[in-house]
Amino acid sequence: MKVSFIQNERGNVLLCAVCTIFVVSLIAANVLLNCTARYNQASNQVRSWNEALYAAESGADIAYNEVRKIASNPASAFGASNGWATSGTTYTSGTTTFGTNGLRTSQTVDLFYSDPASGNAWYRIRSKGISPLQGLKRTGMDDRLSNGNRFAANGATRGDGDTLLRKIDFKYDHFTATYGPTGDGTNKAIVAVSPAPQLSRRIELIAAPVGPFDDVAIKVTGNFYGLGSAAYIDSYRSSAGPYDPSVKTNPSDPRYADSQSGSVQIDNATATVMGDIYGNLYTNGGTTTKKTLNVHGTIDNNVPFTLDSFSIPTYLPAPQASPTNINANTIVTPPAAGTARAPTVYLLSSFTKQLTINQNGSSQTYVAIHLTSDFTGAIDVKPGVHVQFFINGNVDVKAGDIVNETGYAGNMQFYSISPTDGSSQHININSPGNLVATFYAPSADFTMNGNPDVTGAIIAKSFYGNGNTSWHYDRSLDSLGDVTDYRIASYVEDIR
Amino acid sequence: MKLTHNSHQSGFTLAEILTAMAIAVVIFAAIITASLAMQKSFNAVDHYFATHIQQVRIIDYLNRDVKRALICTTSVNQQTVTLTIPKYIIQSGDAEAVSNPSLVGAMRSPTISTTTSGVQVNYGTATSTVVYSINGASILRTEDGVVTTIASSTDQLVPSTIDTDLANTEKTTMAVTFHPIFTSGNVADERTGTTVFSLAYLRNKRRG
Repeated sequence: MKVSFIQNERGNVLLCAVCTIFVVSLIAANVLLNCTARYNQASNQVRSWNEALYAAESGADIAYNEVRKIASNPASAFGASNGWATSGTTYTSGTTTFGTNGLRTSQTVDLFYSDPASGNAWYRIRSKGISPLQGLKRTGMDDRLSNGNRFAANGATRGDGDTLLRKIDFKYDHFTATYGPTGDGTNKAIVAVSPAPQLSRRIELIAAPVGPFDDVAIKVTGNFYGLGSAAYIDSYRSSAGPYDPSVKTNPSDPRYADSQSGSVQIDNATATVMGDIYGNLYTNGGTTTKKTLNVHGTIDNNVPFTLDSFSIPTYLPAPQASPTNINANTIVTPPAAGTARAPTVYLLSSFTKQLTINQNGSSQTYVAIHLTSDFTGAIDVKPGVHVQFFINGNVDVKAGDIVNETGYAGNMQFYSISPTDGSSQHININSPGNLVATFYAPSADFTMNGNPDVTGAIIAKSFYGNGNTSWHYDRSLDSLGDVTDYRIASYVEDIR
Repeated sequence: MKLTHNSHQSGFTLAEILTAMAIAVVIFAAIITASLAMQKSFNAVDHYFATHIQQVRIIDYLNRDVKRALICTTSVNQQTVTLTIPKYIIQSGDAEAVSNPSLVGAMRSPTISTTTSGVQVNYGTATSTVVYSINGASILRTEDGVVTTIASSTDQLVPSTIDTDLANTEKTTMAVTFHPIFTSGNVADERTGTTVFSLAYLRNKRRG
């Protein structure tokens, strides 16, 4: 028997299977396409946007590091060898590329303000960070928000959702097209981004000078002993009014916060700290606890620091012809009011008698004294006079020998120039009398005898004082004195 | 005897047809069920990703504004955040813009002033106020009265922000959750499982 079989009349199972697979594949492909687009946006674009800020902040750190060199080593700040170009007081960096994703950053730093009281400069840091767009060159799927112009070259009219936030430059730099390369509205141009696409973010930081007496009543790198058991250290802000002893124990007083900044900083593990401290106490590895001390602020036993040796500023003008010593009581009236950066300078070889410094007319008068030997005399600073006293030798005086008639510690600043041969240096303040002054002596051992009332701050190598002193740190000192460092005082992002 | 077979006369028995139909019904039912399940799954995944993007966007918006803020306060229910931000860009209506409209959109130069609390950096004499809030299914960002919808979802997006003012700095922790479409009954756990968390420090509150 022979049975014939015709192939064309088989069933359609294969066709059904193919169609089914096709339909299922379409669904799967649609799911995959959407997921990929979502993932691309949620992961890659978000990452690039955040990395652009990392780049900008890293660039700001680079610039900040250069600004800090102005305080520690001015000759090395903004060096051409590090890629900086200088134009007046504006410094522009080259482009730094870093990271596995090819992040780029560039910065501009400019001096935009000089403190009239101290002459210290404030710097503005503008940093731009660029991150190449990771992942697919696709827009997002913001279909749940209202429609708008999403990727216009004119950034000011940009759309909604992620586009409004992240401002991805797929083809053209929207910032340059809308605001110009520096953001000031000049030189606008349609510029293709390379490598396209990319995201950029811009931040602006303000680096503020930190003076030697910033937020500290006593600061030493070595041994510390003091004060007497009945002594206290509090603070006030002279620019907000005269000192009031009742404020430190009255939290409802608006000046209360200013009264709690009489801090003591000791870069040593061993210290004998007595009396009340209405501020913070810092040591380097000490074991201070509040159970044993009346510290009203924060105790932090892990605050190491260093103090650079001090040398006379290079910006001082040439000295006056006379006087050249104070071996007899002398009265001087500066020929000009001067400024903090251009004071009237007196160069003295010895100082054993009294010097009285008068005001130049009714102008705030700035004076600098450079004494190349020991100071054993007396000084009387009249109202309206600001004195910086640079001393090569030692200081041995009574507190009453230092008369600061201005009432402000910042107007009588003592600076002990560090011996270059490493020899010892000391400052002895003996009784009687009270003291309204500041001392910056990173290489000197400071001793205070008696129970003086002190208004001011002391930075020294070591400190010894056993009297029941009432010590008032003036918070207005934080902006006085030559800059020792810089801090970031402001942060803004240009979100355009 | 020789039997001939004519294909035109071939056929299936009733039993064969019924069997085939039964199998086909089962197969098509499976396919349709699977397709519907896939469609639902796709829809859920699509919603999940779409809402996740909005989660991230809310976090990034908040992060950006917190970092550049001077002051940050959060409401008791942690769902309204108010930020005070320097007015870095001159805006329409600002004093400079009134006298010189071409300055709108330009950057401000900072000024330094001495106050009873010390020196401070100012960008103009006023600040911008940015408020993040929830309005129905939308998350709103309002800057000086100008409202921008930064996220809008039917998945019940809920941002939660806590501001912490420390002795030497200030930080803000943010978390955004939503309620996914696919649930197994324990709504709280499923919402918790969608949490996107972030922490940002107020750059202007760095001290020391």
